[in-house]
Amino acid sequence: MTRLLTQTETELREAAQLAVELAGRRGARARASVHHDAVARIAVRDGEVETAERSGGQGLGLTVFHEGRRGSASTAGFDRAAVERVVEEAMLIAGHVQPDPDADMPAADALAFSGPAPLLYADSPRGPETLLDAANTMNRIAIGVAAADSRLRAGESVAVATEGLWALATSDGFCRSALRSNDARWTVMLAQDEGGGISDFCQSQERRADALSSAEQLAKAAADRARGALGARSVDSRRCPVLFEPRVAAILVGELAGALTGTAQHRRMSFLPGPIGRGVAAAHLDLHEDPFEPLGLASGGFDSEGIAGSPRAILRCGVVEGLFLSSFTGRKLGLSSTGNADGYYNLRLTSTAESGDWAEMLRMLGAGLVVTQFQGGKTDPASGNWTQAVRGLWVEDGQVVHAVTDVTLAGTMPAMLNGVRAVGRDVERLGAIRTGSILIDDMLVGGRA
Amino acid sequence: MNGGALAIDRARSALLGPAGLDEAAIARALGELAGGGADFADLYFETTSMRSWGLEGGRVTQGGFVMRQGVGARAAHAGQVSFAHSADIREGALLDTVRAVRTLERRGETRRHPQGVALNRRVAGHDLYPAVDPVAVEDAGAWIAILKRIDEQARAHDPRIVRVDANVRATDTTVLVADADGLLAGDVRPMTILSMVVIAEHNGQRARGQAGLGRRAGLDGFDAASIDTMIATATRMAVNNLDAVPAPAGEMPVVLGPGYPGVLFHEAVGHGLEADHHRKHLSAFDGKVGERIAAPGVTVIDDGGIAGRLGSLGIDDEGVAPDRTLLVEDGVLTGLMQDRLNAGLMNARSTGNGRRQSYAHLPMPRMTNTFLANGAADPADIIASIDRGVYATEFDGGQVDIVTGRFNFTTIEAWLVEKGRLVAPVRGATLIGVGHEALRHVSMIGNDLALDSGMATCGKQGQSLHVSVGQPTLRIDRMMVGGQAG
Repeated sequence: MTRLLTQTETELREAAQLAVELAGRRGARARASVHHDAVARIAVRDGEVETAERSGGQGLGLTVFHEGRRGSASTAGFDRAAVERVVEEAMLIAGHVQPDPDADMPAADALAFSGPAPLLYADSPRGPETLLDAANTMNRIAIGVAAADSRLRAGESVAVATEGLWALATSDGFCRSALRSNDARWTVMLAQDEGGGISDFCQSQERRADALSSAEQLAKAAADRARGALGARSVDSRRCPVLFEPRVAAILVGELAGALTGTAQHRRMSFLPGPIGRGVAAAHLDLHEDPFEPLGLASGGFDSEGIAGSPRAILRCGVVEGLFLSSFTGRKLGLSSTGNADGYYNLRLTSTAESGDWAEMLRMLGAGLVVTQFQGGKTDPASGNWTQAVRGLWVEDGQVVHAVTDVTLAGTMPAMLNGVRAVGRDVERLGAIRTGSILIDDMLVGGRA
Repeated sequence: MNGGALAIDRARSALLGPAGLDEAAIARALGELAGGGADFADLYFETTSMRSWGLEGGRVTQGGFVMRQGVGARAAHAGQVSFAHSADIREGALLDTVRAVRTLERRGETRRHPQGVALNRRVAGHDLYPAVDPVAVEDAGAWIAILKRIDEQARAHDPRIVRVDANVRATDTTVLVADADGLLAGDVRPMTILSMVVIAEHNGQRARGQAGLGRRAGLDGFDAASIDTMIATATRMAVNNLDAVPAPAGEMPVVLGPGYPGVLFHEAVGHGLEADHHRKHLSAFDGKVGERIAAPGVTVIDDGGIAGRLGSLGIDDEGVAPDRTLLVEDGVLTGLMQDRLNAGLMNARSTGNGRRQSYAHLPMPRMTNTFLANGAADPADIIASIDRGVYATEFDGGQVDIVTGRFNFTTIEAWLVEKGRLVAPVRGATLIGVGHEALRHVSMIGNDLALDSGMATCGKQGQSLHVSVGQPTLRIDRMMVGGQAG
């Protein structure tokens, strides 16, 4: 059924179970995770193939639990000698570290021995010839789009297909596996005028090839973005409202979610300490998690401990209802695992406040800054201090006046979350996160004067 | 240190023996790889093992061990590269990988090598780092003791330090490069990184400090004094940041301290002088070789041959010994960093900057140890010259947009300077600029050149590598500072 993989689900499950069994013979409880991925990738530029890649990867990771201590080891080989070495190394580590009662395996009754397994694989053509056709088509269309505007030049067009297998076994008899697929396409466009050059791109990523954006959509969006960034200049320093396009808004949502992970919470590296039951964002905001969305980019039936997640509210009316916990971070915080040992599943930010499409969001912004790209900066996880160098658009009376560069934005994450006035209906999916554009009432723009 | 002479033997025994491969098998595989008439073709074998220990909450409860290996096969026709890789390096899998490349090339057999390629070229040894294995489990007790000392000493430094996390990661990477021109070269690359993060709390304020040490060595490369300095750096940063005021915003003079702030030149100049960006006419410095791009006195060097540094390489990942490349000399753009592919297409020679994250990634022109050379100014005079501005001593990385030359980086330790004096620590200042503009505004260069402590990493097209950056204290007359004070 698969197009790229060279190993079977059965082989992976057997390797995982062998590792657990060998650890058991040494008196340890254990958990083994085995993966195999295969990738094909073609990049085309100026009508020529620039790189053509075909690759296969694999790994086996084992964690043993012995007398209150834990040891982890991994290998790229699945043969018996490699698995024996991994068991040996994991046991050696468990013999050296100090005990940690919170580091034990989860109770067997917490494991998802059965239960829903969301569809993560779609059968699509993924061979090098298919990708070559796709990349050539994108490149040809991008060159056509660029030919209509003397300021544009087509950059590379890339088609990538990935298929993966994952199996997990534990000494409680848990053994499940999952087959995954991923298709991605992107086109780069360069724009140049007397003021200088700029490049931008547009990407589409799905678990099935026929759901991808068309080559025309990608080329046109990349061209619009690159052209729209020409003539950029700084603005004077000021406080003003700021509208984050969906692709940067998703990064802000990711920072909020990151502050609610068990690791950030128990290490006290979160700008939202002790958040459960506390209003941390504007009261019109909800954040919902769904592990089971069919073909979702961050869907999964269980995490790397074998625990299932659940569809649930993370934020309701701006109040935190859930964290992203593993059994380890859960114990550290006196809570139960939420099945998030590998981070968050699909997240969707929604708002009950007034909203609209992109044009309406610009009207709600009125006069202010649209952020189209974060160029680099930092969020201090302990204090929430947030600064970014950004690229964007200056807007007056709801209309774009000119492109903006050489400015910074500064704030604190807690103030920004409380300052969200609206979330647009221009929703995009960026990996695990779905959000529309985010309008924040008042931020500090650092510019020329 | 015989890092080179032993390396080829170590590489053979670590990679070929366990996989049942010999030189004849590699020669045959290369013959097939080059059979489509490629301009050049190479195989890159790699085995890596890594051991880590982690401390949190006062206890060393975490340990890990990773071992992986694989081979990458590449064939290039002009600018077109076909590439495949495999985690299995036994002869059958190696030949499958080579055939995958030939399939991707979509060329028939144009050149036959029935006997394979004669592997008769070698490279000289080096003494940049020892061919040691830093991953030995026998060092576990010593490392765990060091981590515990870091915890105790950091807390003893200041009662406001409420949390310490520390870890050590030792990596042993052995590579073997063989190409269709007959080269067979190996390198053994030890690396150990010790790092720590602390949190300080006082009066409801929380602040973070971080520091680390990276060496191309094992346990014996870590002396007590260096570890003491690391602990003092992290705790000082966290405690200072407790009292930090919002950074000013706007255009102002900036003084950058010695060492890691050299990431400015890595971002503002270095990436723009990687040859692939020039071949594709993407760099803001395209076509400017021989032109003045910086103020007089500005000399920037990339040198992969500095003993013990994380950016140093006995051979690069294409088997070429790294050069000391003058990128900018007294303000004039003089050189680019080349790998084999781009050098071949640009009628230049490789400068030994062909690097890859692993066998599963394609090599590209990448920096090694990149730094701004010393000037003559006294660092104290440089700070004293500022009427109102920012003095930045530690950054948390940086980025550059190659096409526009715009770069930025964010301070994690910086001070507001008024009338030549440090007034108060400031938090979260993002410095932004355009490479060629910032270079022209360098007005004072100190005499205290230092390289970073061994924690610098560099990302490019999704590949991450260890590098070194460095500079002396210097003054840039005009930079945009973005902070939270309006």
